Amino acid sequence: MSSRYYPIYQIGNPQLRIFLPNFWMKLVKPTEKQPPNVVQFKVPLAMTNYDIKNYLQKIYKISVMHVSSELEDGLIKPVFKNGYLVKEEDFRRAYVTLPRGTEFIFPELDCEEIKTKSEKEKEQHLQELEASYKKHTQQIKGRFGLPTWFTI
Amino acid sequence: MQMKLYIQAYYKFNPFLSNCIRSHFGPLLNSPNFASFCTTRERFNKNLMEFFEDKKNWGKDEIRSGRSWKTDELRIKSNEDLHKLWYILLKEKNMLLTMEHFYKENYILFPSPERIDKVEESMKNLETVVRERNKAYYMLETGEDGERPGVMVHNAIGLPMYHKQEQHDIPKYENIQWKKNNVHEFDYEECREFLKLYREKIRKEDNYRRKKNNRYVKGLLKRFKNVDIDYLKEIYPDVNVDQYKNHDFQIGHWEV
Repeated sequence: MSSRYYPIYQIGNPQLRIFLPNFWMKLVKPTEKQPPNVVQFKVPLAMTNYDIKNYLQKIYKISVMHVSSELEDGLIKPVFKNGYLVKEEDFRRAYVTLPRGTEFIFPELDCEEIKTKSEKEKEQHLQELEASYKKHTQQIKGRFGLPTWFTI
Repeated sequence: MQMKLYIQAYYKFNPFLSNCIRSHFGPLLNSPNFASFCTTRERFNKNLMEFFEDKKNWGKDEIRSGRSWKTDELRIKSNEDLHKLWYILLKEKNMLLTMEHFYKENYILFPSPERIDKVEESMKNLETVVRERNKAYYMLETGEDGERPGVMVHNAIGLPMYHKQEQHDIPKYENIQWKKNNVHEFDYEECREFLKLYREKIRKEDNYRRKKNNRYVKGLLKRFKNVDIDYLKEIYPDVNVDQYKNHDFQIGHWEV
């Protein structure tokens, strides 16, 4: 059960059931153009098409018409320029088709808003730092090298 | 019915054709079936949006969250509650993983990534609790814990290894593929040579550690007069403390 060990299935035996599945699924933005009722997922290698279908239907209550999947190698890329290579983990890419007429539009982030917000915060922080530095330098104007608490 | 569905699909995705279709099948599209169709479409969207975080938290620098579940808290819960909690945690983990990927693709830092670790830790704790219960049940019913059986075997190089056993359709002598992948014997001279050197290395490391401990205990006895010797024996069980206790070289600098 929770030891993640299932006995072998032979005809006539009771059906094997998973009580605590530990598979993960990632919903990913499609790399190429595809019909609106197809959704892409990244799943672990051990997951089968049947598993994916059951997973979505039972846990997320999504009706699935068809599932097809393929294995994909993780990217191999250098850490620094001319540095050592690092390989990302392999995964299975699944294409799940929803029933005809349904569509799923992948949501988008407002990157510019977030970036401008973060820049503003950075500027504020810089200004505060500058102000504090000015205050500090004014306090120890005549006696350089002494701490600020050393005053009358 | 099928015809109607086709028309609706056309109506949705081809706005240029919509006028023509409306003129021909106007009453069909305004039928109650069409409304139900719309609701289904919305439902799918909503269910798939469970993979994403709430839109309020998008683009925040920090998202606050509580601590992970502890084993003592989970031991009080019933089996049913644990089963429900597992699926909540699983959904949360999926959501976090998708959001991490989502932020990474947009070149923005993922806010408070420690949430994934928290979820994983609580899932691990939950599994330990369920395993405890499973073990107890199996011990009562069958006299064995229901864990996966395993044995200690030797590697192809000759190192000890824990082998997880599993069930097979055919016996071992007939299973050629299994034999290829699982070699539990070493009959080469190179292996023996390697093992000899490996053991020597381990022995040398052990010796070094033992000598270091001895030296340290000697120093302690020399410097401090009233050392708690029982406690020393507890910490360093390998060192023979009684031997060094009243030795000649333990005469310290203190006044006798």
